[in-house]
Amino acid sequence: MFKNYLKIAWRNLIKNKAYSIINIGGLALGMAVSLTIGLWIQDELSHNDYFMSKDRIAQVYQSQTLNGQTDTGPAIPIPLEKAIREGYGDNFKHLIMSSWTNNLYLKYGETNLSRPGNHMQREAPEFLELQILNGEKDGLREINSIMLSESTAEALFGNEDPIGKILKVSNQYDLMVTSVYKDIPFNNTFHDTEYIIPWDQYLASNEWAMRAATEEQWDNNSFQMFVKLAENTTMQGVTAKIKNVKKDLNEETVEFNPQLFLFPMADWHLKGSFDNGKQVGGRIKYVWLFGIIGAFVLLLACINFMNLSTARSEKRSKEVGIRKTLGSLKGQLIYQFLSESFLVVVFAFIAAIGIVLLSLNGFNELARKEIEFPWDSINFWIMSILFIIFTSLLAGSYPALYLSSFKPVQVLKGTFKAGRYSGLPRKVLVVMQFTVSVAFIIGTVIVMQQINFAKNRPVGYNKEGLIQIPTFSQDFEGKYDLMRSEFLASNAIVEMSSSSSPTTRIWSNRSGFSWEGKPEGFQEEFAWTVVSPEYAKSLNLKIIEGRDFSREFASDSLAVLINETAKKYLGIQDPVGKFLKDDYDTDPNSGLKIIGVVEDMIAQSPYEPVKQGLYAFDRFNYSSYYNLRLNPEKSASENISIIERVFKEHFPDIPFEYEFVDEQYGEKFASEERIGTLSGIFTALAILISCLGLFGLTSFVAEQRTKEIGVRKVLGASVFNVWNMLSKDFLKLVVISSFIAIPIAYYVMNGWLQEYPYRVILKWWIFALAIIGAMLVTVLTVSFQAFKAAKANPVKSLRSE
Amino acid sequence: MLKDINLEVEEGEFISVMGPSGSGKSTLLNVIGMLDNFDEGEYHFLNESVHTLKERDRAKMYKEYIGFVFQSYHLLDDLTVQENLEMPLLYKKYKSFERKAMVADMLDRFNIVGKKDLFPVQLSGGQQQLVGVARALISNPKLLLADEPTGNLNSKHSGEIMELFKQLNKEGVTIIQVTHSENNAAYGSRIIDLLDGRRV
Repeated sequence: MFKNYLKIAWRNLIKNKAYSIINIGGLALGMAVSLTIGLWIQDELSHNDYFMSKDRIAQVYQSQTLNGQTDTGPAIPIPLEKAIREGYGDNFKHLIMSSWTNNLYLKYGETNLSRPGNHMQREAPEFLELQILNGEKDGLREINSIMLSESTAEALFGNEDPIGKILKVSNQYDLMVTSVYKDIPFNNTFHDTEYIIPWDQYLASNEWAMRAATEEQWDNNSFQMFVKLAENTTMQGVTAKIKNVKKDLNEETVEFNPQLFLFPMADWHLKGSFDNGKQVGGRIKYVWLFGIIGAFVLLLACINFMNLSTARSEKRSKEVGIRKTLGSLKGQLIYQFLSESFLVVVFAFIAAIGIVLLSLNGFNELARKEIEFPWDSINFWIMSILFIIFTSLLAGSYPALYLSSFKPVQVLKGTFKAGRYSGLPRKVLVVMQFTVSVAFIIGTVIVMQQINFAKNRPVGYNKEGLIQIPTFSQDFEGKYDLMRSEFLASNAIVEMSSSSSPTTRIWSNRSGFSWEGKPEGFQEEFAWTVVSPEYAKSLNLKIIEGRDFSREFASDSLAVLINETAKKYLGIQDPVGKFLKDDYDTDPNSGLKIIGVVEDMIAQSPYEPVKQGLYAFDRFNYSSYYNLRLNPEKSASENISIIERVFKEHFPDIPFEYEFVDEQYGEKFASEERIGTLSGIFTALAILISCLGLFGLTSFVAEQRTKEIGVRKVLGASVFNVWNMLSKDFLKLVVISSFIAIPIAYYVMNGWLQEYPYRVILKWWIFALAIIGAMLVTVLTVSFQAFKAAKANPVKSLRSE
Repeated sequence: MLKDINLEVEEGEFISVMGPSGSGKSTLLNVIGMLDNFDEGEYHFLNESVHTLKERDRAKMYKEYIGFVFQSYHLLDDLTVQENLEMPLLYKKYKSFERKAMVADMLDRFNIVGKKDLFPVQLSGGQQQLVGVARALISNPKLLLADEPTGNLNSKHSGEIMELFKQLNKEGVTIIQVTHSENNAAYGSRIIDLLDGRRV
């Protein structure tokens, strides 16, 4: 029986090739999109699944409140470790202090690499569930040891056995390789931890960190703490215990109401955003967004299938009649049509897998993923089978019910005609399709607009022709003046400065200042960058009031530049010459003298207002970056090769690394641009699928109305009249769709934009554009068939009747 | 369509229903074939009261006892002769080898073994109707209903089909046919004339 059904279905597919291609192709495209999105979602949801005890791992987070605004983050002070270990240690299986994931220079023989990694406490290998490939498990026992990831070890040692070898780190100290562990997967928070160095080594080689430890600095939130819970404890339970530890032990920070809590690993990747102390989701919104897009695209493809199948119903009606008179029950017919749709869906699924395999590399590149096709995952195949069955039911149920309900007497007598309203469900489906397409168009245009809007925002300095060189080694100490004159002499640059943060980031915030007119109880905080006197010049940062730093005034070592926002923040009309007093400084006459106001420059998110910032004179060589303004008269590559040569002369043991500031700035848009590109592609596919369906539908309508068109032409209708008649019906549907889509798109996109303080204003023409675009696409699609029908010789179509 | 028709058909009869277009011949046939419902009156078939049966039981009944032959053959274009013959059996509980045997038997009996792999479009009208009759008979119905079975055929083919009907009737199949042709009607044992839905 089933075989018989499949046979008929197969012959039907072969006989109507165009129809089959449209049907299977459209469905395959839709399935490929939802399959790809499914893989992406699976990848997002399985982030950190590498950890066996994912649900017992957490990071200690801290919320602090300044001027009523609560900020939440992973940075915690160092004395917290002792307090928690001693007071609440039995709640944890592991408690690990960790540095941030930073790049260090690793040197072995002639090989010199800059790699990211962490400093962690001794239990880290067990906590991170590292798979030790070589060497000892307890690899962080000695202060002078280092554990390497497999790929780092290979990069440094090639085929040599790394265990016991000595590495020079940051050109400062020697570490011995104790073990090699399997690379932590890409889809993991600790993927970038390519080596682990003992925590004590961190303190020993970073004076500021050691000071934070010995002086018990509760206000220096510069460290991380990871924990794995002990048995019989819960995240909430432990959070309740440690919530007020910092507040209780340190009076000075009470005014910021520091609240500690365990932030579970399950939430790290997808729900890591906090707004004013509350957890507000995060990437999960993109999981939802793409999930919805995937579902809609699949729906569009299914609608095509339903529409084309029912449109062909008159051709199949005879078969239904015969089968019914020969004893087929309605249920058997439903079963037959469902098995037909099953066959089509299976073909489409196979084609979809082909499309996914072909496009997976490109998709990975776009989405910055390393998704592989899950050939060996049983779950995937079970899901696929369910997916096929679900799609067959979704796409096939309406045609099945519709076709199987024909009355045999009517269809066999030939009196069967689809009634006046039989096209109504089909129209509703077309309206649905175009509603989704128009909404997608609007959404994509708005995302693109928002990105462009933020891109066109003035950054405050000239980011083109500017490079930055990291200077994370003590080798650079005291070399700034020398290097500046060397680089200038080489003629590769026109100006240079150093700074404690990269141009496109704020690494440090400071409080503890007073000034004339500071309101009582005001809890200030400033972005804090320590810079060499040439900072503004090298960046082309405009001085609006006062003057730039000058090496001619010795007093400038205690001077500070403020940005425009800081001027407003301080509330001083004429800030130049005023003092910012450092609360920690005991000398009552000291303070930082404001010598000038610079234009706001965007160092953080281009979607947010610029933060109040202070640029202080670099007295102690805090430089983390050199900022070099390239010589505009030479090509960039020429300049850089000269710079590299000069650099190598002075720092032969340090790898030469540089970044273009405009590229780094561009990174800020990467996430939105990725969303924009992906949603653009999905929109294009959605429109393509809708058009395929529309194309198929028009051809059937034209065929159905062949006789009518013939009669009309005989009676004098022109080609244009006929074209107009056929197109008008569909255009009407598109207009209806647009009016449904616009409010929905407006509501959703307006909500999305609210996240960005600096956002584009929605203009009416975006919506008009979307309608016109959809109408244009419709006219083009419909016209092909409409013209064909309109130009056909009426004599032929009438004779064949 | 039909008014006050009182008709009793004995097993083994060969009845021809005649009348002008629109007189209700086909409707009568459809009602007898249980394809159409009726508003009033009773219908007894082999001691069952059809008018009281549920849709499902009715379908079961006509599946078992009734075969249909149409004016325009109504073969499925996508199936071969052989597959067309097999189709009614698929809706009954026959095993695969039983179906094969029955189809082979029928092909043999109608002398169309050579045509078994052809599609309907490859056959002449007479041959198509032969397949149509074979298909109607394959599950051994007690009653064969034919709606102008020769309406689309020339007189030679037409005669052949009528001879076939006569033969079948002799073998015990009850036949009711609708026809315009006096000639064809004469093959039957009884003629019923209809006009405007009434018996004349």
